[in-house]
Amino acid sequence: MTSWKFSIAAVAAVALTASAASADTIKIGFNTPQTGFAAADGKSVLTGAQIAIDTVNAAGGVNGKKLELIVYDDQAKPKFAVPIATKLIQQDKVAMSISGSYSAPTRASAGVYQNAKVPYVSAYAVHPDITRAGNYVFRTGILGSVLGKAAAKLVGDKLGKKRVVITIMKNDYGKALAAGFKSVMANYGIQVIKEYQYSLRDRQFGPIVSSIKGDNPDAIFDTGYWFVAAPFVSQLRAGGVKAVVVAQEGYDGVKFIEIAKKAAEGVIIVTALDRDSKNPAVRQFMTEFKKRTGYGADMVGASGHAAVMVAAAALKKAGSTDRAAIRDALASIKVDAITGTLSFNALGEVQKSLKVQEVREGRWRFHSEIVDAKLLTPPDK
Amino acid sequence: MNYSDLLVQGLVEGCIYALIAVGLTLVYGLLRILHIAHAGIFTLGAYVGLLLTNETGSFAAAFVITIVAVGFFGMAFYRLFYEPILNKPPHVALIASIGLFVAMEEIYRLIFGATSISFLAPPLKDTVEVAGVRLEEGRIVVVILAVVLIGGLALLAGRTRIGIAWRATVSDAAMAESFGIDLARVRYINFFVASALAAAAGIMVALLLNQVIPTMGGVPAYKALAIIVLGGLGNVKGTLIAALALGVIESFGTIYLDRVLDRDAIAFAFLIVVLMIRPQGLFARR
Repeated sequence: MTSWKFSIAAVAAVALTASAASADTIKIGFNTPQTGFAAADGKSVLTGAQIAIDTVNAAGGVNGKKLELIVYDDQAKPKFAVPIATKLIQQDKVAMSISGSYSAPTRASAGVYQNAKVPYVSAYAVHPDITRAGNYVFRTGILGSVLGKAAAKLVGDKLGKKRVVITIMKNDYGKALAAGFKSVMANYGIQVIKEYQYSLRDRQFGPIVSSIKGDNPDAIFDTGYWFVAAPFVSQLRAGGVKAVVVAQEGYDGVKFIEIAKKAAEGVIIVTALDRDSKNPAVRQFMTEFKKRTGYGADMVGASGHAAVMVAAAALKKAGSTDRAAIRDALASIKVDAITGTLSFNALGEVQKSLKVQEVREGRWRFHSEIVDAKLLTPPDK
Repeated sequence: MNYSDLLVQGLVEGCIYALIAVGLTLVYGLLRILHIAHAGIFTLGAYVGLLLTNETGSFAAAFVITIVAVGFFGMAFYRLFYEPILNKPPHVALIASIGLFVAMEEIYRLIFGATSISFLAPPLKDTVEVAGVRLEEGRIVVVILAVVLIGGLALLAGRTRIGIAWRATVSDAAMAESFGIDLARVRYINFFVASALAAAAGIMVALLLNQVIPTMGGVPAYKALAIIVLGGLGNVKGTLIAALALGVIESFGTIYLDRVLDRDAIAFAFLIVVLMIRPQGLFARR
């Protein structure tokens, strides 16, 4: 073995021992993309989670112990997420875990955690099957279908727009949103005049824009993520389409505005984070997040924060690191997180109200709130 | 539905594909290397162009400096990575190229961060109307660039001594060398031109989307591959036609085939059909 290889191995060994040696902490597993295509979201969610950990530890930790996040990079891929889950359970012996990753890896690991009876909280992955893995799996993020229903209420009821074009991103998230929207749109008198589909990788929307121009809708409901949405909305405006664009959590972040610039003005979204909130915890989070990352807080970062806060509250309520006790605590908990007051139903889905944000003068601002417990009730099986 | 809109949008997209794919086919024609890392050079062009524009405030100056600088980078890339393995079987270079592409993406992420970066004041964003179609100025510039750069390349290949040397090397490297042609020089120029074209495409895509991310080369990497196979590997004219045709087909496909076929799958469906009927590619001479 050459000397530099040896020194790397030595450093790695020391680092591993160091993390294993800290037995006086409560370990929480955390899988998140830190490299690859989803690394940007991975950075946000991890920063949000770490702010929460630091806040809890600064206040003395939980049950007299500090919290420690054990983080592994899953590249948002199931093939990495599954061995990571096994490693966190068997080698790191975490009390519980949080997914700071996308649907596919989270769905794959959920089964591993359920089999091992280790509590697992999904921060922002949206696929409905995640919580169906079993009673040890919870979700602090809102389901795509519920978000879609809320968007329908916003479009048809609050904004009074009836002729709508839906643009669907072809993945679990986009499809769930569109299905949720369509399931209740009749209640608000909405008529979908046309649907378009595009892939996560699309950035050139000229053909769709030309076609929407001919449709002349009152509103466009888009189900995409910000990195697809920013070029889409820019190209809509450049193509002369003036209809209001209504969207969802996927747009939530400063990057959308930074890229779309003036075209972002007037875009309205249904989301979990209210940036104009007077809540001091939200304000503190926003400041700290900006300080650590250099960019403004986003939904993914806030979700990471909320998931850790839920974990901390459950650990406190359980009073031990007994995994069954933590699960029971999660099932009955009610937590004031920065994304709202969170509690779980029998399936482990979160129940909360939603915020509506609008871009005004280059910033996300408060528009309104959607408080409709019946509409926002997640499925319980 | 306005068909002329779709046609024009498709041609613009086709010009971007052409700028990327022509470089790829040049490298293949000369060295028989499937240069996957070409897409990484495309991304480099996007980063350098965007950062220089933000730094200097002049898009035009940034554009020129970037394509020249990235052209030289391409030469160094060839010297460092491909030249040492030229005598190995073709799959060695292919594997090296894939590895280099992955490495480049991760290096960009380490240097520039995983989140996207944008122009502070994106230029060429006004819209103008051409033949009843509303277009951003940036898109018109893409078409002009493709015509000028690829037209210039055709002149270079057809009318100059360098061009003759290049064509001689493509058709028979050993023979060309025996006539006193400096093969190394031809290869350097080849990589310079290919990389400069990729950089030009990178900057223009960065401008149109106002967004540069480490992984933006992902789609061009495999789509350009489909295009050069369609065009008959190494055939520049064929690549050009394939690029424009694919742009237009995708444009119509996005609207009329979106339920059956993903837009990015169209290139491959097209490729499979062509390979079944004409395995040598659409425009191969033999």
